[in-house]
Order: sequence, then C-alpha cells, then structure tokens
Amino acid sequence: MTDRISLRRTLGLARWNAVLLTRNRLAAVYAVVLPLLPLLLLLAGDRGAEATGAGAVVTMFLVTALFPVYYNVLAQFVNRRDELVLKRMRTGEVRDAELVASIALPGVLCALVLTALAVPIAAALGQSLPVNPLLYAVTAVLAVVMFTAFAYWTAAWTRSAEAAQLTSMPIIVLASLGPLASSMPEMSERLRDALSLTPGAAMADLVRIGWFGLDGPGADQATLSFAETWGQAGQPLAVMAVWAWIAITLARRSMRWEPRG
Amino acid sequence: MSTNAGSTSAVRVRGLRRTYGQGASAFEAVRGVDLDVRAGSITALLGTNGAGKTSTLEVLEGLAPATAGEVRVLGLDPVEGRAAIRPRVGVLLQRSGFSGDLTVRETLRLWSETLTRPRPVDEMLALLDLEHRAGVHMTALSGGETRRVDLACTLMGSPELVILDEPTTGLDPESRRAVWRLVSGLRDEGATVLLTTHYLEEAETLADRLEILHAGQIVRSGTPAEIAQGHPSTIEFARVDGVPEQLAGARRILHDHGRTTVETDALQRSLTDLLDWAARHDVALDGLEARSPSLESVFLSIADGGDPVEPVAAEGAVR
Repeated sequence: MTDRISLRRTLGLARWNAVLLTRNRLAAVYAVVLPLLPLLLLLAGDRGAEATGAGAVVTMFLVTALFPVYYNVLAQFVNRRDELVLKRMRTGEVRDAELVASIALPGVLCALVLTALAVPIAAALGQSLPVNPLLYAVTAVLAVVMFTAFAYWTAAWTRSAEAAQLTSMPIIVLASLGPLASSMPEMSERLRDALSLTPGAAMADLVRIGWFGLDGPGADQATLSFAETWGQAGQPLAVMAVWAWIAITLARRSMRWEPRG
Repeated sequence: MSTNAGSTSAVRVRGLRRTYGQGASAFEAVRGVDLDVRAGSITALLGTNGAGKTSTLEVLEGLAPATAGEVRVLGLDPVEGRAAIRPRVGVLLQRSGFSGDLTVRETLRLWSETLTRPRPVDEMLALLDLEHRAGVHMTALSGGETRRVDLACTLMGSPELVILDEPTTGLDPESRRAVWRLVSGLRDEGATVLLTTHYLEEAETLADRLEILHAGQIVRSGTPAEIAQGHPSTIEFARVDGVPEQLAGARRILHDHGRTTVETDALQRSLTDLLDWAARHDVALDGLEARSPSLESVFLSIADGGDPVEPVAAEGAVR
C-alpha cells in the first residue's frame, strides 16, 4: 500500500497518450515534423559557419519547446479536461502527479530526441560537434521542464482547446522575443540586457555558448573552450532556472481538473 | 476510533457540509448530512436534481474536500487515505468521458493498467455485453454503450465499495434492467453499493435502505416500507362537494384541479365510509382511486416542500 508515485502507471499512461498523439495527424506533424524544419536553415548561408549553425539550432530549440512541449501539452491537457477524461481518471488509482507527467511525457520525449538528433544532422551538414555537450543537454532538459510547467499554468486559465490558440500567445511571444532579437545585431545594450532575462533569450544564449562556443551576442566565431562555456553559462542558466521555478509555482497553484461549470 | 457498532459501516458521514463559492455568492449544497452505509448492503441516495446527491458523493469519492463534517470511507479519510482507499473502491461518475480515438478494448486496457488487481479485459467486455463492440472507437458508441464501458471501468478492480452516481440515467429500459441485475449481483458477492437515483422504481427495486436528500439534508431514511409508514393513504375522485369532513380515519379532504383527495390513516375504513355515504346519497365517484402510501407519494410531497410528516432529523441519533 504505497503512497508513492508509480512509475509503471505513469509510463503505461504515457504510452497511451503517445498512441493518441499519433492518431491525431495534425498534432503529430506539429510535434515531430515542424521542429525539424529549422534545420533546413543549415543548408543556407556559409556551410559550416558557426553563425549559421547557431541560428538554425536556436530556432529549432524554440520551435521544439513551443510545439511538441508547450502547445501540445497545453492542448492535450485542456482537451482531456474538457472531455471529463481527467475527472474519470482521478476517481481511480492514478495519482494527479502521474496524470501530469504522463500527458507531458510524449511531447517531452519527442523534444529531447529531436534536440539530440539535431547533433548528427548538423554534423552531417558541416557543423562542428557541441563544445560542451553536457551544457547542451542541460539546456534541453531545463527548456522542456520550463515549457511543460508553462503549459500547465496556461491550462489553468484556458477554457477550451480552441481557446488555447489565444491563451498560448503570451508565452509564445515571451519565448520568441530573445531568439528574434538575436538575429538583430543593431540593438541598444540596455534593451539587449533586458531581453536576456526572458526565457527564450536565456535558452538561445545557452545553445550559442554550449554548442557553438560563441562568446556574447555579436560573436560569430567559436572562441570559448569547454571550461569557459561553464563560466559564460552562469547567468542564462540562472535565468532559465528562475523561470522554470516561477512556471512550476504558478502551475502548482492554479491546477484545475474539471471544466468550469 | 471505535468500531464497536454491531454492523460495520463501509461509509460513515457526520455533519457533512459543502459550500460552493465564497462571500455573498456562496451556496451551501450540502447542509449537515449524516449517513451510514452498512457493509454488504445497497443504499440509495434519493433526491430531486439539485438536492445535493452529487455534491455529497464527490466528497466520499475524495474528489472534493468537505467544508465541514467528518467522512470515513472504509474507515479512512477519503483525501488523506486516498492511496489505500482507491484500490478498494469503484466509482461511476454522473458524467464522465473517454478519449474518443481509442477503441472500447483499448479504453479498458488503459484502465486496467492503472489498477492493482484488474479483472481481465475480456471478462469485463463479456460482463457488460460489449464483446461485439470491442473494436469500435469510443466516439462511435451510443450513450448507453459508453455508460457500460464506464461501468466496466468501475467494476474492473473488484471493488469492495461501489459508488454509482445515477447509473441508469439516459439508459433504455432494457439496459436499465441489466444494470439492476449487475448491481444486485454485486451485493450478492459481498460488495457494498451506494447509488444515487431519481428513479423511485430503481430505489425501491434495488435498495435495502433509502436516504432521501432534499435541499442538502437527509429528510428521511429507512427501508421503503419504513419511509412510507406514517404517510397518509389517499382516496381520489372527480370533485364532489359535500363529502363529510368527519369521514372515518380521514386526516383532511382537499379539493384541487377538479379532483377531491381524501388523506387518511385508515384507508379501508375511510373507503368503506365514503362508499357508504355515496350510496346513501346516490353520488357517483368518477375516476375513483385508492392508494396505500407509496414511496412516490412520500417523495413527491418532500420535493414539493409539502411533506406532512416532520423530517426525522433525530433518527440518525436514535439508530
């Protein structure tokens, strides 16, 4: 008679959620195909140039965080809640945490596989391997946790799966600000500093540092060594960790399991 | 905690209150409910829509916290004892849902994977007469079929306690009787059943004990016969003026909607007296009907707020 969370149940439910995801063609395309498209950018520009690589991988990270993770988890959860599937599940032995984890897992796993796949794909297209693979992996995990939590928080004030198209906008914009700005070299220092505190910018910085060893926003040559990347990663890691903590706190506080009467 | 009561209670509720909202807009749906469900029995919670049936059950199911009061399900608090209670309880919600893109068999397999001691999926398909629909997607099922899948999930874990919120609402008469047989079977196998219904026939057929809930309170409890006891029999006929007020055994005589109704504690004596009077005065009693007190009449008079018998609020304490 354990009070703990059951891994067996969680993985079992996650598998069914994956099955459901594959049965929804559009959702599956959004989750798998769309995030890979930015890698096509590697074919443009100078083959093998760090700046080209960073642009493509940062965009891929953003799309991966937003579609398989954020939007997918949001839509799946809201949909199941609307259809009273969650209410039904909660009468049984399943724990709330298991439901939360199992709905997120297919998208999360998909995102992690995609970010890993990006390495050989980029290498095949002339890019160098990540300078600090561990930092790259940590970035992927942090991004996935943060956007999953954002999804559950957004779900709390989203009335229906249709409404999610609108309620998801603030987070999508917040996440996109940083990566968009990084493609604009002319920008005041103060604005750039402010933007670097957004979750998307921190994620983009970490990709640029961890994989490409780029030192600062204007850099287009790998200059950082493995050891130096850790020093540079301090601030963006802290920014992402704080956002993840905020997102988790908000989500935990506002969790709603039944549609509004 | 004392367990000295002669018969053990599967569910024990004292002074349960449940309030929705806060401040001026607060609504108290459950207003001090006491309830005992004896282990191995079928208890029906009866009430009109909005009486507080579902609000009460949701607390027992551990889905909602009580605003006040004490609740014990299988001896445990439904929220704190959740992990221990759930494998022993089967719940059927009044309204619930399933993912439409899964088939019936897949839905049951998914559910069985969440259980500690699941009965085989094929056994459940057979029990609920769903074998021929096993490969069909949930979206393609009729309302009655979906309800049967729902029930299959409820019963799959071989629960000791089964809580059914309006199990037969929306079912056709044949399916309804099938569910009745299933529910009676559960008791025969030793399970405890607590169900809500607004069908009197269902309550009368199935339940060992009835609890009538009205406006958030239990206003009457007992066997169907006990509940009808003390309630007047009625004699009705097309309106006739001049019926003697001092008719033997009659409580009162009402004239309403072109009908005359005699309420009596002694149906046979009153009827004899009435017929005798009619014969002597050559009065025709058109549409004459005489009825012993039925659950229906008790229920309707409670629902109308015109219950002539005082609510037996003290009964829980005496019992």
